[in-house]
Amino acid sequence: KDKSAACKDSTPEGASKRQEDGAETPKQQLLDIIGNMKVEVSYRKKLQQLKASGSKKQALNKLEGLDSEGSLPQETTEDTQRGKPLNPELVKAASAVASSLPRNKKQTESELLAQLRRHEETTDKQKKGGKINIRNVISEMTVKRQTPAQRSARISGRISLQLDEDGRGIRPGRSSAQSVDFRRSLKVGKRLNIFTKASTEPEHALKTVSSPTIWDLEFAKEVAAVTAQPPRNGFEEMIQWTKEGILWEFPVDNEVGMEDDAEFHEHIFLEKHLEGFPKEGPIRHFMELVICGLSKNPYLSVKQKVEHIEWFQKYFEEKKELLQEI
Amino acid sequence: MAAAALCWALRAARQVLPSPCPGQVRSYYVDWRMLRDVKRRKLAYEHAEERLRINAIRKNSILPKELQEVADKEIAALPRDSCPVRIRNRCVLTSRPRGVKRRWRLSRIVFRHFADHAQICGVQRAMW
Repeated sequence: KDKSAACKDSTPEGASKRQEDGAETPKQQLLDIIGNMKVEVSYRKKLQQLKASGSKKQALNKLEGLDSEGSLPQETTEDTQRGKPLNPELVKAASAVASSLPRNKKQTESELLAQLRRHEETTDKQKKGGKINIRNVISEMTVKRQTPAQRSARISGRISLQLDEDGRGIRPGRSSAQSVDFRRSLKVGKRLNIFTKASTEPEHALKTVSSPTIWDLEFAKEVAAVTAQPPRNGFEEMIQWTKEGILWEFPVDNEVGMEDDAEFHEHIFLEKHLEGFPKEGPIRHFMELVICGLSKNPYLSVKQKVEHIEWFQKYFEEKKELLQEI
Repeated sequence: MAAAALCWALRAARQVLPSPCPGQVRSYYVDWRMLRDVKRRKLAYEHAEERLRINAIRKNSILPKELQEVADKEIAALPRDSCPVRIRNRCVLTSRPRGVKRRWRLSRIVFRHFADHAQICGVQRAMW
């Protein structure tokens, strides 16, 4: 009750509603409790609520939005503390809400109860430390739609009141707009406690890189020697030999170790490498013979052939003066 | 660091580090002649391409003779141990220069010894 009072004080828009809520009918109390419990508000229900009441529901929703941060965990812990089967108070509250809504009281009541049960289940799971099934959590959460009037009201309310998370001060404009743009899903909501802070990673990286000591190498060698047991049978021996490279891999691959990425035309048509040579004369004749021989050579790689030709080019350039005399 | 690694590698090339393997562990080459043969093989491997190319210039009838004479002088200037002709196929275990079968790189005496003890794969005493 104190909580709700404080929250009501904080909202200037809810000024007119405060008087109504301040009446504190038991029905209102229950409605407040339910309104503070979040998560499962389906779109249909939202529409119903909007159509049904109007201002009363708007106030409730605003409270819900503003309180969801602080009140939620407290509410849920209180709920779980009360007991595993659905609380009779909650059941009463559910029936009250169902009665307040215009259509299909029984259906809404059953749906509310089902949602409460699911809520209890998830909180129990989290208590036991079970796997956090994100999918379930997210599937239950649905996107809330608001009218633009509501939105503007909320924004104005926020700007005047809330501080940034840093506590730096009021920053109307970008940050609040951004967080509001994402439908209050960034900073609002229960912490799922899935991710832990990665604190000392850079230090670890530096440490491991800088010192591969001799002792580490020795240890690694020791481990390798211990784990390498002698082969128990012929198959294991053959496996070991294959790993070492003594034995080939079967079926035999004729091109093991040969990684010639060049096409056949690069092996055969080597005339483009002959550009550095004079176009006529005995040298050209000689080089053409060399190229003919290289093109028929299947044992050299393209790189080696090119090196061969380049060696000759260099050699003849060095002997140029000699050749001029002739 | 690099120099130390190189020294270590050289020492390892000369000596087989004691590893848990059956049979003899030989830490040195059998004799100095074998060592010299090893050096010749290494040099021949390094200069093989050069020799091939210079010989290609020398041994053809198209290029002018002056060029070929220059190539002659060049190939003579290479170290003597770089020519493959100086390599002798010695026995791997005893360094015997004669009576070595190429397939097994062993001299006839060692070959007979191991074959009789059934330690050469697929080799049996002939009888027909």
